[in-house]
Amino acid sequence: MVNIKELQASIGETPILKGLNLEIKPGEVHAIMGPNGSGKSTLASVLAGREDYDVTGGSVDFDGHDLMEMDATERARSGLFLAFQYPVEIPGVSNINFMRAAVNGKREHEGLEPIKGKDFLKLVKEKASLVELDGRLRNRSVNEGFSGGEKKRNEIFQMAMLEPRFAVLDETDSGLDIDALRIVANGVNAMRSPDRSFLVITHYQRLLDYIVPDFVHVLVNGKIVLSGDKDLALKLEEKGYDWIKEDVIA
Amino acid sequence: MSHTAEPIVMDLQRKPNVHAATQAKGEALVSALAAQRVASDSVAKHLTALPVPHRRVERWKHTPVSGFWTDYSEPVVQTIEAAGCEACPVPGLHAYRIVFVNGKFDAEASDLPVHGGVRCEPLSMTASGVKAGGNLESSDWFAALNGTFAVEGMKLHVQRGVVLDRPLLVHHHTHGPNSANFLRHEIEVEANAQVQLIQWSTANESASGMVNLLTNMDVASGAIVALDKVQDEAGAVHHLAFEQINQAQSSQVRVHTGTIQGKWVRNDLNFRLDGQGCDAVLNGFFLPKDKEFVDNHTTVDHRAAHCTSSEQYQGILYGSSSGVFNGKVFVRPDAQQTNAYQQNGNILVTDKATINAKPELEIYADDVKCSHGCTIGQFDEEALFYARSRGIGETEAKAMLVHAFIGDVLDGFAVQEVRMEVEHRLATKHGWETWNDTLENA
Repeated sequence: MVNIKELQASIGETPILKGLNLEIKPGEVHAIMGPNGSGKSTLASVLAGREDYDVTGGSVDFDGHDLMEMDATERARSGLFLAFQYPVEIPGVSNINFMRAAVNGKREHEGLEPIKGKDFLKLVKEKASLVELDGRLRNRSVNEGFSGGEKKRNEIFQMAMLEPRFAVLDETDSGLDIDALRIVANGVNAMRSPDRSFLVITHYQRLLDYIVPDFVHVLVNGKIVLSGDKDLALKLEEKGYDWIKEDVIA
Repeated sequence: MSHTAEPIVMDLQRKPNVHAATQAKGEALVSALAAQRVASDSVAKHLTALPVPHRRVERWKHTPVSGFWTDYSEPVVQTIEAAGCEACPVPGLHAYRIVFVNGKFDAEASDLPVHGGVRCEPLSMTASGVKAGGNLESSDWFAALNGTFAVEGMKLHVQRGVVLDRPLLVHHHTHGPNSANFLRHEIEVEANAQVQLIQWSTANESASGMVNLLTNMDVASGAIVALDKVQDEAGAVHHLAFEQINQAQSSQVRVHTGTIQGKWVRNDLNFRLDGQGCDAVLNGFFLPKDKEFVDNHTTVDHRAAHCTSSEQYQGILYGSSSGVFNGKVFVRPDAQQTNAYQQNGNILVTDKATINAKPELEIYADDVKCSHGCTIGQFDEEALFYARSRGIGETEAKAMLVHAFIGDVLDGFAVQEVRMEVEHRLATKHGWETWNDTLENA
């Protein structure tokens, strides 16, 4: 589904990703862990199409299409979703109108008519219950005045609304208490399916207790230096990253 | 209610500041117009004593007036029918209507109020005719030009306690090249009366010249007035609008000014809060593009205690357009317990667009609450990326942010049909497809 080959990206003159390889097949959940500054969030941003980064080499194939040739809107409409580490507040734009524009954008891409108001509200109700997002938040401005947990739940709500084929969760666990973490993880797990893949970026093993990955990769200095199964995450939790820097890279 | 002109301590135009070349152009304009039409002699005399605005006068520093120094002719088209446009620019609006085409009253296109206690007629048909007066002419050359040459306009009188059952639409249409349209509206709303007014200005593609509107409004105690002002002029019209609103005790006035289109627009909106417990609301938005110019100068003069004023002007400037916002708030020594709020937000969409924004608060009372804020920025790139990452197209994402930015001002229009038509016209001008796409309409 997603095939990343020798991906290189920089911000300004500074190279961040230095030849990253990763293949994600349908239905798989991959976790990426790594120390601060290793390039985890850059990978998420580059995949979603943030224009602050220059892709200087390599390729990303998404369902047979060259992802790097698409702009952010096209990527989203083609089924890629990024759950932001820091969801953006948009005062004056209601969450619900925002989502309707998003859903209709995707439908337009698929050659469908805009969704009917009644059907849309039904869909909202169904998906919001998945992450226990109450009605009050749906009608407020996008993320404005939401708590950290509410923002992350809203990200997962949006993901559920858009039903992406490939979702990137960028440190979705940061700033969550244990209850919110469970709610978010339940939302993600409810969406796991044989034709939907996830890339879960996290600092901590804790999230992976709830969203159990098929593969765990360690990103250091812009490259994946070690891959394994979920037990690798436990080992990282216990021993930190220094041993990798010493043993694996050296 | 009448006021004799009195020296204003804060008046920035105390010293005549004359620029010889501009003065000569102004005088040439006056002579040319005087040769064509009837002039009010008393104001004409005063006019010659006033300095013609130029760049070194603070209130005109960023407002180019060179476009006015041109030849004007008597317009050919004088009716809506001849102009081939709609008498009512707002579809589905159930309102009384007074229509002026190229400065002439169009009786056929008008639908004057028939309502007990309300007198509404063109100034040219009133017994007293056009009277000079009003404190605007005393200080501003262009307002005095109106005082000299306006022979038409609306006279509206609403008697004590009368509530007009429908909004009253004042439609100004400019048609064809080189017009010089002077209109003066005299509005008097007696105690506890209520009226909703709409001023809508249109022009056709070939229109050029000057539209010079002057509105004097006296609002008596306890009266409630809403004025929705919409400016949507094609062509190359230079549009000047002066409003002097005098409020007596416990009256409420809300003015919303939306500039949709116009090559050159200057709004000069002045509130004078004379009685205690007045409430004034003045909101506006402007979204110029290409080389359009929009200037909003506002003054709120708090002269009595316990009054509130609230002001919000939002500008989004596209292309090589330019804008001016100047918001003066005076709180005089007697105006204790004043609560005055002013907010001006601006977004520059391109690096060629410019805005000159200046809040000016002068506070001479010590027990007041006054706040103001002024921002100049760009579209929030993070918000745009966020929307795009959800599959929302860039144009639509920007339209959403625009809607959010001017939403409060749009919400403030007193007449719902006006608001909807304004949104529709903005969407047409800027090529937004899904404007006002709310679920309430689903």
